[in-house]
Amino acid sequence: MPLGWHGRVKIKSTAQQEEEKRKEKEKKLKAFVSARDAVLKKRSAGEHDEEALQLTRQLLSSNPDFATLWNYRREVLLHLETLREKDEVQKLYESELHFIEACLKVNPKSYGCWHHRTWVNTRLPQPDWTRELGLCDRCLSLDERNFHCWDYRRVVVKASGVSVEQELQFTDRLIGSNFSNYSSWHYRSTLLPQLHPQPAPDSFHSHRVCEEQLLKEYELSHNAFFTDPNDQSAWFYYRWLLGREEMISCVYVSREGERVSVAFSKPVHSEGLMLVLDGQPQQVEWRSTHPRLRHSPVWLCDLPPGSISDMSNEHNLTIHWTEKHTHRDCALYTGCAESWCRDSATNLELFRSELSVEKSSVLQAELQSCNQLLELEPQNKWCLLTIILLMRALDPLGHEKETLAHFQTLKEVDPMRSTYYSDLCSKFLIENTILKMEYAEVRVFSLSNKNLTTLCHLDQLLFVTHINLSSNQLLRLPPHFAMLQCLEVLEADDNAIENLEGLYHLPKLEEVSLRNNRILFSKKSKCFIRNCFSGVKSQCLVWPCFKDSVFFIN
Amino acid sequence: MTATLFSPNTLLLDKHADYIAAYGSKKDDYEYTLSEYLRMSGIYWGLTVMDLMGQLSRMNREEIIEFIKSCQHDCGGISASTGHDPHLLYTLSAVQILSLYDSINVIDVDKVVDYVKGLQQEDGSFAGDKWGEIDTRFSFCAVATLALLGKLDVINMDKAVGFVLSCMNFDGGFGCRPGSESHAGQIYCCTGFLSITGQLHQVNADLLGWWLCERQLPSGGLNGRPEKLPDVCYSWWVLASLKIIGRIHWIDKAKLRSFILACQDEETGGFADRPGDMVDPFHTLFGVAGLSLLGDEQIKPVNPVFCMPEDVLQRIGLQPDLLN
Repeated sequence: MPLGWHGRVKIKSTAQQEEEKRKEKEKKLKAFVSARDAVLKKRSAGEHDEEALQLTRQLLSSNPDFATLWNYRREVLLHLETLREKDEVQKLYESELHFIEACLKVNPKSYGCWHHRTWVNTRLPQPDWTRELGLCDRCLSLDERNFHCWDYRRVVVKASGVSVEQELQFTDRLIGSNFSNYSSWHYRSTLLPQLHPQPAPDSFHSHRVCEEQLLKEYELSHNAFFTDPNDQSAWFYYRWLLGREEMISCVYVSREGERVSVAFSKPVHSEGLMLVLDGQPQQVEWRSTHPRLRHSPVWLCDLPPGSISDMSNEHNLTIHWTEKHTHRDCALYTGCAESWCRDSATNLELFRSELSVEKSSVLQAELQSCNQLLELEPQNKWCLLTIILLMRALDPLGHEKETLAHFQTLKEVDPMRSTYYSDLCSKFLIENTILKMEYAEVRVFSLSNKNLTTLCHLDQLLFVTHINLSSNQLLRLPPHFAMLQCLEVLEADDNAIENLEGLYHLPKLEEVSLRNNRILFSKKSKCFIRNCFSGVKSQCLVWPCFKDSVFFIN
Repeated sequence: MTATLFSPNTLLLDKHADYIAAYGSKKDDYEYTLSEYLRMSGIYWGLTVMDLMGQLSRMNREEIIEFIKSCQHDCGGISASTGHDPHLLYTLSAVQILSLYDSINVIDVDKVVDYVKGLQQEDGSFAGDKWGEIDTRFSFCAVATLALLGKLDVINMDKAVGFVLSCMNFDGGFGCRPGSESHAGQIYCCTGFLSITGQLHQVNADLLGWWLCERQLPSGGLNGRPEKLPDVCYSWWVLASLKIIGRIHWIDKAKLRSFILACQDEETGGFADRPGDMVDPFHTLFGVAGLSLLGDEQIKPVNPVFCMPEDVLQRIGLQPDLLN
């Protein structure tokens, strides 16, 4: 879009002023059209001379987005190159750089200008990268958020071999001196993995940056938002520091059907999935749980008949996920019809970063500091959200009550984002329930009456047989619900569910209760429901419009 | 600029239709002439917003189609206007216009496909034209053009996807090139790209959705990245991205609607970037398209990936995946 179409204030003026403006514009227009026509005529005639440079110079100074003129200029320059000696070519392009800089002064955000400068440096016999870096420094000192300039700087740094350390120091200076420094924090996030990489690809680590450096980054960003608690850039960066990586969530094996199910924390492709049974790689065909999911968080396969059907045999399964160099083992013991692998350590890795003692104490100190800041700024939403994230990193179950209270405050101080906070809170409640389940070794997932607005981490519920989601604010059972391969009973009364797509083909489902929802009844939906439950042995469906009566299919 | 007591708070569709219908009829208008370098996109903005308002018939179909024909070059690429050079940006706009008019075959489609294919680089990225500027905007232009023509299979898809993913940042957003800062316009292009290529699962929807919903300022308007001013065009770039990744409910819709409506000019029709500024067709399209995404029933449903009426895409048979 034309840059000139932003920030033009509409000013009321008198009839006389309007007439003057109109005359002025008419004059300008005439001049522009005349120059434009002259240039395009010359180009059509194939003229690549000094006059062409003059005419395009005149027009481009005030119309740097007129891209075709830059193209013509490049054609002229390339032609002149063939006619001149090397030192003259150097002068020609240096003069071009002066011209571009003059254009940039008028318009520092023109894609055309910056690209042309990049191009000129590919033609210069001897580019002067120091000068180019100086230009970037000056430009960024005027506008630290000019992304054109940052991108150009990256080109200069790459071409001239400026060190990553030097650039990191540059970001230190900018972050220290400026208010609006998101671009610097961003640049930092790209430099760190180059300078302080994670030693080996490891499923336990959440970052491509080594822990020692990460801990330093906490301090850096902490200082920034303590200096100015409304400096949102530092809070965004901090959240990144607390992040985590994806991995295999769960493996479930059943002798009945000789089926293996593998769940991931995010949708993946089945390429790169390898199954090893008792030391022998298996040739299996993986399928996802819902035909619409080409990339699925859960993949299923059937072992060759007789592989694990005999209850008197013990088996060891390993799933390898070659893409992330990670794997999960699952042991199927004698006398056991099924098995799954998830342990508390795994869970904690999933829901927060793996914590070394050092990192744990750093985060504890961070939490204390943020709590102090909150006393000074009780309405600061960045602080509230960060405290929640820190608590989750340290002890999600221990801090559950406080977390819920903080979410309540967040929705009050930042009401525009209350649906975001409701969804995030739902996610954390689901995570906590999953954590509690593991300690109790049960297969029942119960989260009724918790203001749940969304469902997630269904990949963690692969082996669950009973789910109770009653009295929440769910709008649907999403397609990923089809992951719940062991589900026998679903209670979801008193929600706002409109869409039942997730009930597709749950092989073990026997009982469903959906009173008080918003399911729309049509022939189509009844057919859909019938198809959902086809293939299931016996079903008992409690259907809202029939009140307390029971509705059988088949 | 903040909305005043006298800012519009109802949708003035008829005024906007009149504004667009008249725009460009005065060929000696200063702003109009100076924006010739993007004329093809300007026509796409005008036609799309008229179609969304059910007023496409007021535009001069024959004149526009002839104009497009005159803008296709020997290499297959299409320029913004006669006498200008071809570029991916205007090639997409032209194909979008011809799709609206169901007249794609007035140009040489095979040559367009060749042109687009020829702009893919070794690393999977796309240049905007033969002069080599690389930008994820052009990755979007390339796949959107080919999708509308039913020819996505001609490019190296894996590499194209790989390049776009290499532009994903710490905050879940996307920039112009690897290492570039996240920006709502680029995020729209990249999520649109990933939708068309069936790779939306690669997006961290919760993280990006948070970054996007933080674009909403106290005025209700949206900015394009942290610490910037709100602008009605971000009602499109941000909102469409949120729709594509299934997180549009994280925006305060009522407040955004008020902001967009306040950007209307009651006198002239059209929308400006923010209340009180001068209007133009670009902001008019994105204001109306944003309102459509927010559910305004007076406007036709708009497709968040292509920024075209849904009924046009249904006719073509294009229904790119969105996250839920």
